Amino acid sequence: MIIEATSRNGAGPLDQYLADTIRQLGIPPRPAILERVAAEMQRDEPDFRSLARIISADVSIAGSLLKLVNSPFFGYRQKARTVQDALSMLGLSTISSAIATIVLRNVLPPSPRLERFWDASARVAQVSGWLVQQLGAEAGVQSEDAYTFSLFRDCGIPIMARRFPSYFDTLARANADAEKQFTEVEDFRHPTNHALVGCLLGQSWWLPENTCIAIRHHHDFVSLRAGGGAFSPAARRLICLAQLAEKLLQDETGLSSCLEWMKMGEACLEILGVSPPEFEELHRQARSVLNPEPAP
Amino acid sequence: MTLAIGVPPMSRGSVGKYITMDGLTGFLDRVECIGEVERLAGEARAAGASLCVIWIGIDRFRQINSSFGHRAGDNVLAKLAHRMKSSAAEGDLYGRLGGDEFVVLLPGSDLAAAEMEAERIQQVLKAPMEIGQVRFRPSGSMGIAQLNAVEPPLNVLERADRAMLAAKRLGGGQYVVSGEELVPGRFGNPLAREELAVEELIHEALEAGGLSLHYQPILGVGGELDGVEALMRCRVRDQDLTPATFIPVAEKTGLIVRLGEWSLITAARMVQQLHARGNPVKVAVNISRAQLTAPKFCQALHAVLACTDAPASLLELELTESLFMDMSDNVRRNLGEALEAGLPLAIDDFGTGYSCLAYLKDLPAKKIKLDRAFVVGLPEDRKSFAIVRTVAQLARDLGMTVVAEGVETVAQYESLCEAGVMAVQGFLFSRPLAEDRLDLWLQQRGGQ
Repeated sequence: MIIEATSRNGAGPLDQYLADTIRQLGIPPRPAILERVAAEMQRDEPDFRSLARIISADVSIAGSLLKLVNSPFFGYRQKARTVQDALSMLGLSTISSAIATIVLRNVLPPSPRLERFWDASARVAQVSGWLVQQLGAEAGVQSEDAYTFSLFRDCGIPIMARRFPSYFDTLARANADAEKQFTEVEDFRHPTNHALVGCLLGQSWWLPENTCIAIRHHHDFVSLRAGGGAFSPAARRLICLAQLAEKLLQDETGLSSCLEWMKMGEACLEILGVSPPEFEELHRQARSVLNPEPAP
Repeated sequence: MTLAIGVPPMSRGSVGKYITMDGLTGFLDRVECIGEVERLAGEARAAGASLCVIWIGIDRFRQINSSFGHRAGDNVLAKLAHRMKSSAAEGDLYGRLGGDEFVVLLPGSDLAAAEMEAERIQQVLKAPMEIGQVRFRPSGSMGIAQLNAVEPPLNVLERADRAMLAAKRLGGGQYVVSGEELVPGRFGNPLAREELAVEELIHEALEAGGLSLHYQPILGVGGELDGVEALMRCRVRDQDLTPATFIPVAEKTGLIVRLGEWSLITAARMVQQLHARGNPVKVAVNISRAQLTAPKFCQALHAVLACTDAPASLLELELTESLFMDMSDNVRRNLGEALEAGLPLAIDDFGTGYSCLAYLKDLPAKKIKLDRAFVVGLPEDRKSFAIVRTVAQLARDLGMTVVAEGVETVAQYESLCEAGVMAVQGFLFSRPLAEDRLDLWLQQRGGQ
């Protein structure tokens, strides 16, 4: 089952401390607030006002939601001042995903390592959303979809870390493996992997189906190299957008490195229809977005 | 909503005849469309000309409705209709068949011309649109069909509809020509029109929170709680789909695996919730053949346990006996791993297939669930009684528990007790209960 002999010795005190903290935490249940949004989505005329009241009752969610809606990423001309503004600006599906990401981050433990993980996910998410604006909303994938997917893509990682003490060590190995599928390395050491965990969590939180499918297969470079015909066009596109976003971030900021691009970069560019000169151009544009010139 | 109002005819030269139109879009309504197809088919055949039909479904429209309400949705439909019509060629007829589905009738067009028309419609649909402050790009899934020499006129509509659903399955934003659909069935059986529609509803349920589990208590003959069986319910657009409707379609399309995984994680969460409240109740989940034959079944099991922290010993897997009859390597391995992970197994619907007693001795299951067929005739049916008694004795000798399903009367219950059955399940004790009702039921029992 779990092979943890090597990791115990290999893990530093910080890792051990983190693993312990994560283990003691409760699991993320399906938040009642998402149930409420889902119920409202089933109605003929959703009642934005009563929903806004319910969301406003949770100060941390209401605050994060407003911060999100007003972030430059969404680029609205007007600012949302109330939760009800936010609801009518984004619509219930996007709100539902946005709340899900906020809740997920809230229920998992604050720790430096996971903070970096969430920050990295948030940055990839923003660049993914930005990429849709550059490349166009094909296959029904809008900026918001790419954003949500990228934010949720690796949500199985903190859950795996909570369950399996040697998981951080597994992550390090998977990140350094240039040949095997990332999840294959996980499967070898644990009875399940973060992609599957993330997909099941997403499904039980009613995330869009294509998002869940994309989470499940986001390391499957073998299928992607074969054209990705095994997944729906939307799921395929979500996977490639996030991968490209991650690559641009790595190249332009030097943050977080892994070998995924080596395994699936070429396939991603082909599926997204990005030629080498366009790839260069995207780098150039991303550079100016990610590292804006300091004001004189 | 389709609003049929009488208005004078447009420029079709049939002076004096009134046609009904859709109030929202100004297109022909459903009844009128059908009439026009019949009329145009007759004319085309008489003149030896071609007639093509494009069926259009707006992609992700239900998200617009559920996100912004139906009034906003209607606005979008009206705008889209306007876009399509304002650039249409003269002579083409536009109809709305209800909801977000439209049809275009193209007299005189061959398939190539119809495909060009579909491309054109896609282009006009795709321009960005704003609802409030949200900007989105609509798109359509389209099915194209050309009237052939022998079919009844309305058949061409049906074929276009099926092709449209095939385009939706491909992810939307494209057209499919009737006759060129990929075979959609999982085992090579094409799905019927109704089945394709049910499949759409299942997808909708998976995204919109339309699935739920109801729990039916299983009681020991002494009245103690043995566990509950989780049964899936599917409710979409204010309608309940019966398991008899959606399970077969889910099995045909492979969606059963996703439904099954959803059941597992939801049931496991229930286990964990009850356990955390000091109420360790065993929850049984039905596992389909498609799930159990998949090589990664146990990874999903472990993912469920990781997400929920449910104790494995309280999550029981119910498998129909036919699964045990032809055990492939995958099934054998999956069952072994499930047992290793600590999940108990039960044989469901025992006695309905070609039961083979030999497999009972090698089976890792600890429970046999006797099909309701043996219960329904009790106490009068002595043959059923004899079978129940024999199976109960056999199970006891093998160290297994026997549960009788579908118990509805006191007489049946007493007869089952006499036959040596150890646990019972059925309407006599409780219907399947929604989550909150189960809580209440458990509290009431606790208070007794």
